[in-house]
Amino acid sequence: MTLSRRTTMQWMMTAALLPLARWSPADATPAGSGTAVAFDRVADWPSVPPAAPAKGYGRDPNLMEPKVPWPLTFSSGQRGVVDMLGDMILPADAVSPGAGALGVGAFIDEWISAPYPIQQADRQKILAGLGWLDAQASVLHGKPFAAITVQQRAAMLDVLSSAAPKASMTAPVAFMDTLRKLFVLGFYSLPEGKADMGYIGDTPSEGPYPGPSPEALAHFAKLIGAMGLTYAPV
Amino acid sequence: MTPLAAAATESSYDVIIVGSGAAGGMAAFSLTKSGLRCLMLEAGRDYDPQAEVNMFAPESDAPLRGASTPDKPFGYFDATVGGGWQIDGEPYTMREGSDFRWYRPRMLGGRTNHWGRHVPRWGAYDFKPFSRDGLGVDWPIGYDDVAPFYDRVERMIGVNGGRLDLENHPDSPAGCLMPPPRPRVPEMLIKATAESLGIPVRSAHTAVLTRDMPDPVAPRKACFNATPCTRGCTIGAMFQTTTSFLPMAKATGRLTTITDAMVSRVTMATPGKAAGVEYVDRKTGQRHQVKARAVVLAAGTGETTRLLLNSGERGRGLANASGELGRNLTDSTGASFRAYVPALAGRPRYNEDGIGGQHIYIPFWLYGQQKRGELDFARGYHFEIGGRFGVPPAEVLPRAWGAALKTAVRNTSGSTIALTLRGEMIPNKDTFCEIDPVTKDRFGIPVLRFSFRWSQNEINQVAHGRRTAHAVFKRMNATILDPDLPPEQIMTAGGEIIHELGTARMGADPRSSVVDGYGRAWEVDNLVLMDGAVFASGAHKNPTLTILALALRASERLAKRIKTGAFA
Repeated sequence: MTLSRRTTMQWMMTAALLPLARWSPADATPAGSGTAVAFDRVADWPSVPPAAPAKGYGRDPNLMEPKVPWPLTFSSGQRGVVDMLGDMILPADAVSPGAGALGVGAFIDEWISAPYPIQQADRQKILAGLGWLDAQASVLHGKPFAAITVQQRAAMLDVLSSAAPKASMTAPVAFMDTLRKLFVLGFYSLPEGKADMGYIGDTPSEGPYPGPSPEALAHFAKLIGAMGLTYAPV
Repeated sequence: MTPLAAAATESSYDVIIVGSGAAGGMAAFSLTKSGLRCLMLEAGRDYDPQAEVNMFAPESDAPLRGASTPDKPFGYFDATVGGGWQIDGEPYTMREGSDFRWYRPRMLGGRTNHWGRHVPRWGAYDFKPFSRDGLGVDWPIGYDDVAPFYDRVERMIGVNGGRLDLENHPDSPAGCLMPPPRPRVPEMLIKATAESLGIPVRSAHTAVLTRDMPDPVAPRKACFNATPCTRGCTIGAMFQTTTSFLPMAKATGRLTTITDAMVSRVTMATPGKAAGVEYVDRKTGQRHQVKARAVVLAAGTGETTRLLLNSGERGRGLANASGELGRNLTDSTGASFRAYVPALAGRPRYNEDGIGGQHIYIPFWLYGQQKRGELDFARGYHFEIGGRFGVPPAEVLPRAWGAALKTAVRNTSGSTIALTLRGEMIPNKDTFCEIDPVTKDRFGIPVLRFSFRWSQNEINQVAHGRRTAHAVFKRMNATILDPDLPPEQIMTAGGEIIHELGTARMGADPRSSVVDGYGRAWEVDNLVLMDGAVFASGAHKNPTLTILALALRASERLAKRIKTGAFA
């Protein structure tokens, strides 16, 4: 690892942590924030055996027929817990289905099984985190995570989503951060997720690009007015 | 591909062109149109965008949702094939303490299949930097020499853009540019905010058609405002040589192309005259020699330099009496600044795809202050503008789960903006490339070793850029997402912006330059360099338009010399 690569990683890690400590967007208060009860006892962080060597798709894969060449990792039990977590982290509502029900767990399996550095680092976190969830559920309730009650699982996710976790929770919270990142990527890159965001695009059109809609322009005029700015057309 | 036997025929070609990217493509187009028979040698494999570009597949069809990997650094569907930051069996090395990235596709069309498409003209100051601030060297040519070729290249490749009306940012004459696209809302907000601080914002010049460009051989269509440009463009809206110059040159019947042909050295007829080149067939490992009346090197700054260093006199290279070959290497500075803009949260949806990249940008505007000595850096930088609807970055999402997380994604989509800095680097004595004394590639060709260092000038420039970007963000009440690190830690590594230039610079004096103002090697009369290696300085402005203009100028000069019997 070169010095600069290390610096870049440090940059990314810092970038990921800083804003959370300083602010959180309006209308998006973390669930259970302030009410989460920290665990008295935190289970040990399990070790994960290294992945079996696998090949990537190479520098010249067939772009017309994309394929995932590496074998998957999750046991059916692990996949079940990941699907369950998907339906908690991004639950079904009136707008879109839950991430678990939509099958985003398959993407997470594909991701952590890929023989590339970022994915291998995430593999460590996810597999250790799934093991830890069962261990911690056993500490708290004497049962694995999948067997405890919905309320008990929710309480655990609240602690794992703490804005300022205790030192003993650093690894478990980093696991949940990674899982959340992967569910967001996997869910919102699907048609259902794009529709949920109200995304409009990926549609060829004839003629010049029309630019913002009248509604978007009206909204823009209002917002720059509030900032005391004026807009001169290009 | 044409059988090798044809290529081996003695003297059947007027010109050998090494490389098929911007410079090689332009050379092939210009030289074949003028009636010359050309042999193009491309190190990479054959490539047909019509058959291989998956323009419409959603990222969810790709492994890892199309995410960047070491195999495909710009994503699964990115056009680059066969190479990237690394090529199997074709390493490069670095001196201890240096960090340099060298982006090498191995494909017909080279780096034009994936590129930034931002094509600003260089201005008068950019060709005479030494005269202005005493650093580096002046070019032997000036803006007025290049301007007519800029006019023609803009019309040839198809560029959209608007008026700039700014110091050292020449405007194009009427008829050169297609109309620019309308800006998107985040771009409009940056414009309103930057201009309130005295910072100009203008339509970018972009090599994407906004009007159809008919041609009997390679007709190209106006951008249909969808699909990522970096995958390649089967309708030809984005300029790439594989959908324009190469098929047009081929249609003349005077272009022969051999792919998988890794040129290892220039061969000589007499000490001052090239005979042709030697290349290795990358599939078989066989070596071949081909001959022509003239040789054009357009392999890309690094490969062109490597090839000259591996030719001629052992340990010194070819055309290197000046000792400048490999020296004066520059890349653009790079740094990215991002912010979350609460005012943009939950804004009304509409289609922001547009022509792919930025529609407007921030050109350098501080020439006056610089002239008065008010800045702690020389030369300029610009900002490219980003911000669209899409999946919000992890940094703007709360550590939440459940309904709160879904709400946060909906609310923050389209509320993150970016200002990406690109700046000029001044050549320094610690930044160069040379032949590694030990390492060879899998064909037995000695590889390049890079040495790279940013100077305090570039560090100060990036620090200034960050203060500027953050001032813009603060004025719009945005939350800055950048970590508080020293400027040298937020800069890209050397080579990472893929603007490497300068290692066989042109000049007025053979004692301090490798080629003359037309790219002709001082010591080898029929050897012409046409890529970024000939640049005498870097400028903050992206180099491709200037590479194309200089290649056109050099090609026409070469054709004229051949026709008047210079190499008879």
